[in-house]
Amino acid sequence: MSSGNAPENAPDNAIVIDRVSKTYQTRKGRRVHAVQNLSLVVRRGQVFGFLGANGAGKTTTIKMACGLVMPTAGQIHVNGYDVLRQRGQAMRQMGTVLEGTRNVYWRLSAWQNLMYFGRLKGVIGKRLKSRAEQLLKELDLWERRNDPLRMFSRGMQQKVAIACALVSDPPIVLLDEPTLGLDVKAARSVKQWISALAEEQGKTVVLTTHQLAMAQELCHQVAIMSHGRLIANRPTTELLDLFRQEYYQVRFAGSLDDQVLEQFDGFTTRRENGDTILSGILTEGTTVYDLVDRARSLGLELIAVAQVEPNLEEVFVRLIDAADSVGAVDAHAPGQPVQDRSPARAGVPAVSPARRDGSGGDPLK
Amino acid sequence: MRIGVMIFINETYKRLLLLWDYKFNMVTQIIMLGFVFVGITLFMSEGQIDQVQIAPVLLGYLVWFYALSAISDMSWGIREETQTGTLEQMYMSPVSPNVLLMGRAFATLINTTIMVVIIAGVLITLFQVSMPMRWAGIPVFLLTMIGLYGFGFMIGGATLIFKQVEALANMAQNMLLFLNGAFLPVERMPDWLAGFAKTLPTTQGIIVLRKVILDGQSLASAWNDGSLVSLVVNSSIYFVGGWLVFRWCERVARQRGALGQY
Repeated sequence: MSSGNAPENAPDNAIVIDRVSKTYQTRKGRRVHAVQNLSLVVRRGQVFGFLGANGAGKTTTIKMACGLVMPTAGQIHVNGYDVLRQRGQAMRQMGTVLEGTRNVYWRLSAWQNLMYFGRLKGVIGKRLKSRAEQLLKELDLWERRNDPLRMFSRGMQQKVAIACALVSDPPIVLLDEPTLGLDVKAARSVKQWISALAEEQGKTVVLTTHQLAMAQELCHQVAIMSHGRLIANRPTTELLDLFRQEYYQVRFAGSLDDQVLEQFDGFTTRRENGDTILSGILTEGTTVYDLVDRARSLGLELIAVAQVEPNLEEVFVRLIDAADSVGAVDAHAPGQPVQDRSPARAGVPAVSPARRDGSGGDPLK
Repeated sequence: MRIGVMIFINETYKRLLLLWDYKFNMVTQIIMLGFVFVGITLFMSEGQIDQVQIAPVLLGYLVWFYALSAISDMSWGIREETQTGTLEQMYMSPVSPNVLLMGRAFATLINTTIMVVIIAGVLITLFQVSMPMRWAGIPVFLLTMIGLYGFGFMIGGATLIFKQVEALANMAQNMLLFLNGAFLPVERMPDWLAGFAKTLPTTQGIIVLRKVILDGQSLASAWNDGSLVSLVVNSSIYFVGGWLVFRWCERVARQRGALGQY
């Protein structure tokens, strides 16, 4: 993996994760496979969405990329630098905001935090001051730069944490749940800023989030993890295309009761102007005619059936459900090839890491 | 070298800002430490202030305060930074963790020195203690601190892995208070206890500091009588051992993913 042609040295690869696994041992001696044989590539300038349910292995992967957690196997390169062997250079490439913690000193002001973290990342003097000023002005925090962060709203504190991650102007930004706990307005503001980082400043952004609408809007490429395994890794549009033919919206007159709705398992329900609207992906072997027949047999008044654009949430749920149904059988059987347990066996189009055509970002293609 | 100096200054800058922000706590702590000193001194001298004994006791007490501070920073300090995620941010710096660790120790030393100067100033003035300033005390003091911070690194390493080390830190602080010879000189301890006390990180430092600052003994003389040699050996073992333990614990914490876990 060290030759000039290797994926980690390719000029357009920002992050190369190569066959990385992480196994923890519990106090009782049980082995927990947090990440299993993960391989993926994040291209430069991409907004890369890293999705998965809680405990899927996203944060562990992010922390391995930052050198905070040592992989049990495999290598991670950041802009060509091995995170473990060339730690200093690798760290210069990244700014990171981790999930669930403050990341900054709440007793210090925004300015003091930026000065401290800037120097910690090797930025000093006028360069540091002008960068801090630029960031605080971009974030509308310049007027309050001398206030301690404990006086700030959660959204403002998160903005300062992101500013501290960006103070050294790193080419790669890792944001682990950046909008967690933020109100709608603050989340929107952070989202706009993330978009600007990629669009205007050309930065590579790796984003983990449970807000799939945000991921759909921002991310060029999406990887989905489940139980430590990669189950999908494709450009967002391509991922949505996988289900485009199967995603339907059905409108019934009146408000359907729960017993009736149970007949449409897997569909989401909303009510609009007294009607009931079901949205979802047709399960394997089901056609739209079957759906109409079912409605007729239940005596429902069908108003409209339309094929609509799927959203990432639907795709995500479908893939995760499929992976769970397959993975539940052998979730604790490490060593088995990942592709053998791909969701393809559960009737979901194959988007496993076995994909080798390049669009999946496989470093071994 | 340049980056090392910058990191030392940066850590000190942060620590002083936090110290200022916690100024009420600092004042309270100084008052409490003053009362503890007066209380213990009066208790040991049966209600009298012994002008002969107060200077060596104060010297030992101030060195103990450095120990208190170093252990606190390496236990509660690291634990708090783990909880807030700032420790992980430090570990994502391109600077070597060794430099960061030394910078952290240096910042705590400066921080503590400010408080020690205030406490010492108040107590010296209040009790009219004769505390001569001798340059020979500086290298002895620094040697003592090197050993002490080595001990602190061990506690810090344990904090990275186990997190709940309050009991261990409290035990270490109390053990040092009563066994480092600050209040009860090692010579008056039973042999078995004196032998153990001399292996602690600050005991030998206090012995040599008293010799060079209060008795006016030269460094050469302290070297010749073996006390300074013992201090050099003791501090070197603690520092190297502490540093190795900390780095090992840090490696284990990375393997367990425990740097940011509480």
